[in-house]
Amino acid sequence: MLSRRNFLQKSSIVSLAPVLPHVFGRTANAAEPESNEKVLVVIQLDGGNDGLNTVIPYADDAYGRARKKLRIPTKDILKIDDHLGLHPSMRSAKALFDDGRLSIIQDVGYPNPNRSHFTSMKIWQTARFDVEQHNDNGWLGRTLDLKTFEGKKNAVYVGQQETPVALWGRKSEAISLSRSSDLQLALDPLKPENKSESKSDLGQFVSKQVLTAYASAEKFKRRGAGESNDSKYPNTRLGSQLKLVSQLLKSGSQSRIFYTSQSGYDTHSSQLYDHSSLLREYSDALKALLDDLKEAGLDDRVVVMTFSEFGRRINENDSAGTDHGTAGPVFLAGAPVKGGLLGDPSNLSEVGGDLKVQCDFRSIYATILNQWLNVEAKSVLAEDYSTLPIFS
Amino acid sequence: MTWTPYQPTDETPWNLQRVVHLHRRAGFAAPWSAIQRDLADGPDDSIARLLNGDAVDKPNDSDAMAATIGDAAIASGNPQRLKAWWLYRMVTTSDPLGERLALMWHNHFATSNRKVKNLVLMRQQNELFRKHGRGLFGELLSAVVKHPAMMLWLDADSNRKGKANENLARELLELFTLGVGSYSESDVKETARALTGWAVINDKYEYRKTRHDDGELTILGQTQPFDGDQLLEMLLNNPATAKRIAWRICKTFMGENVVSESALNELAAGLIENDLNIGWAIETVLRSNLFFAGANIGSKVLGPVEFTVGAIRCLELDETPPSSMILTQWLERMGQNLFYPPNVGGWNEGRSWLGSRSIIARANFADALAKGGLWHPARVPDFDELIERHDGSTKLDEKVRWLATLFWGKVSNEALKEITAKLNSLKDRSLPVAASLLLSRAEHQLG
Repeated sequence: MLSRRNFLQKSSIVSLAPVLPHVFGRTANAAEPESNEKVLVVIQLDGGNDGLNTVIPYADDAYGRARKKLRIPTKDILKIDDHLGLHPSMRSAKALFDDGRLSIIQDVGYPNPNRSHFTSMKIWQTARFDVEQHNDNGWLGRTLDLKTFEGKKNAVYVGQQETPVALWGRKSEAISLSRSSDLQLALDPLKPENKSESKSDLGQFVSKQVLTAYASAEKFKRRGAGESNDSKYPNTRLGSQLKLVSQLLKSGSQSRIFYTSQSGYDTHSSQLYDHSSLLREYSDALKALLDDLKEAGLDDRVVVMTFSEFGRRINENDSAGTDHGTAGPVFLAGAPVKGGLLGDPSNLSEVGGDLKVQCDFRSIYATILNQWLNVEAKSVLAEDYSTLPIFS
Repeated sequence: MTWTPYQPTDETPWNLQRVVHLHRRAGFAAPWSAIQRDLADGPDDSIARLLNGDAVDKPNDSDAMAATIGDAAIASGNPQRLKAWWLYRMVTTSDPLGERLALMWHNHFATSNRKVKNLVLMRQQNELFRKHGRGLFGELLSAVVKHPAMMLWLDADSNRKGKANENLARELLELFTLGVGSYSESDVKETARALTGWAVINDKYEYRKTRHDDGELTILGQTQPFDGDQLLEMLLNNPATAKRIAWRICKTFMGENVVSESALNELAAGLIENDLNIGWAIETVLRSNLFFAGANIGSKVLGPVEFTVGAIRCLELDETPPSSMILTQWLERMGQNLFYPPNVGGWNEGRSWLGSRSIIARANFADALAKGGLWHPARVPDFDELIERHDGSTKLDEKVRWLATLFWGKVSNEALKEITAKLNSLKDRSLPVAASLLLSRAEHQLG
């Protein structure tokens, strides 16, 4: 999981010098180049994000009519053009947008929308519509099953829940991590001794793996002591999850797919305050991650995709909340994206109670697969989908 | 003949190292009293005890206790508690080989509760591994693939005439019997058709004739109408199946690069002669010269369960067993989430157990063991008492040597010097800390 060369060459040589046998010196020099491959981070917003109060069509009169209690005052909206703007608590996302590091794809969904959290989430995670296939393999698991990923079939799930079906594959594995203490040593163990020459190939392998693991833990610990940007992450659950993703990337993880989630978006009643906090937590954590990766020189390798299982109804309900809807916005963030808005704003007075799907989510997946992870999308999605101008 | 029975020689004596090797490989390690008893009794009796399931003396009530824990786990609906049930069994059983075999078959027939979502069925499947684990492979195969846990896992119930689902068919050929390279894609398609009619009704297997495709099929060159049972019989008679079972057994009980292709073929041929009797193959392997050859000792990476349960059993911590719920969490950190294998192929085992994250988890487990963190509430284990009872050493380095011998069968003076030097540099020089240093060493990852 962690690159040998990175810590052996850059940092741990010094601290491990007294116990570092010759064979490891050689290994460090001969190690394969540090991973410079492209990485996808997925943030799943659990519960169905109210897209209409996230990317807000403030210039559409129908918005105010549909949202009597939940309307965000036009003056507070962070305008991104003369029709749309971001929720006021998304200042960080707005900064990313202005910086060309955030692409917003509008009204994303799929034909015949399903309003069950469970079913719709399975559809997004598996890219399959047959319920019988909803517990099989997910779109990212199938991706990692492809030959290109031989030897790098581990996806990392950061969170407390069961590993999402999106990451399940026939051969690939999802490692789940919930706390950074899983990457730190509680004791000060003995390093493998300087006798590797006499050992069998397996014995040398084990010593090398143990030394590598202990070195990575030491590096991790030092970073925790204030070497980096860790303090800039908001003190929220998503903030610490994304910090863990970044720590893994900075320690040289070979994984290509990271997955995490933020829950609480099922806002059926009195949603104004809750939704605002959720969006703040989300956009602050996202910006902290991207800024951290930029500082570490990793930002050209990482793209973050954010989705939710569905949007919510255009009209608010009688409890100052919103019920399950259809389409919603998807965000793609990071230095490699073009930035800007994709798709046209819906004319709310024309569409009725639900937003019309403008973009099939599988087009976004196909674009990521073809143009970012460089695999043939059809081998994962079974069919061809048009791609979108997301990447620069 | 590769699998000739082991006879101690000057070069391969029946010594402490070989007794420890036998127990680490075949039964999650053993306490000192069992090691000493086996050392005195010789290989024949020692191996027979493992095969017969009475390797160590255990109180009679541990089975009843396990059953109670199992029932409570089911009633709670909490998967963590079902994992804890199995761990409790592994920690307390007098038949460690039986549990090791159950674990082997859990990996061979890797089924995950993430899709089955039914603890009753998962426990039933687990009991099948115990019941048939050392019997005839044909009976094991039939019991497992015609059990709802597997059928739900691999969509057998959705596989119907005119609407085939290939999931079970493919894994049956690729993973459970023949192995890659012994069948074609068309065999997979036709096998799926042969398996139609297998249904799950009220969480039980039933045959539904109306769903069965009774057309003529060509599978592995044979053309006829097939039903599922005829198909299983044909697969069992295929020599590739015997070879795959031989491979599975060698992968579990033999070290890396120890078994040659011809030795594997020999074991497979013996399995065919013995009606695919798993117990015969296990006995042949455990009693062989090759099993006790120097090259086979310490030549296999211990899996998380072997690592964890082994430490607890040999240190006699099972007398007041650690919290199984806490142990399951450690296993997950080490990468072995029981009842939730990573995919249909199960855990890769071997070298792939040793990623950075799981090595750190192993070291942290050793630390938790030493600090009493495996118990709830925490209690620091008393190894001074243990050593006093068995050995009587009084000096620290002698005590450390005893612990290392218990774990590894022998210890080099150099390693011992390093460990005691390290220990002397610490504020806490207690034996639990010494044990954690030993358990987190590279040597202890091999068995």
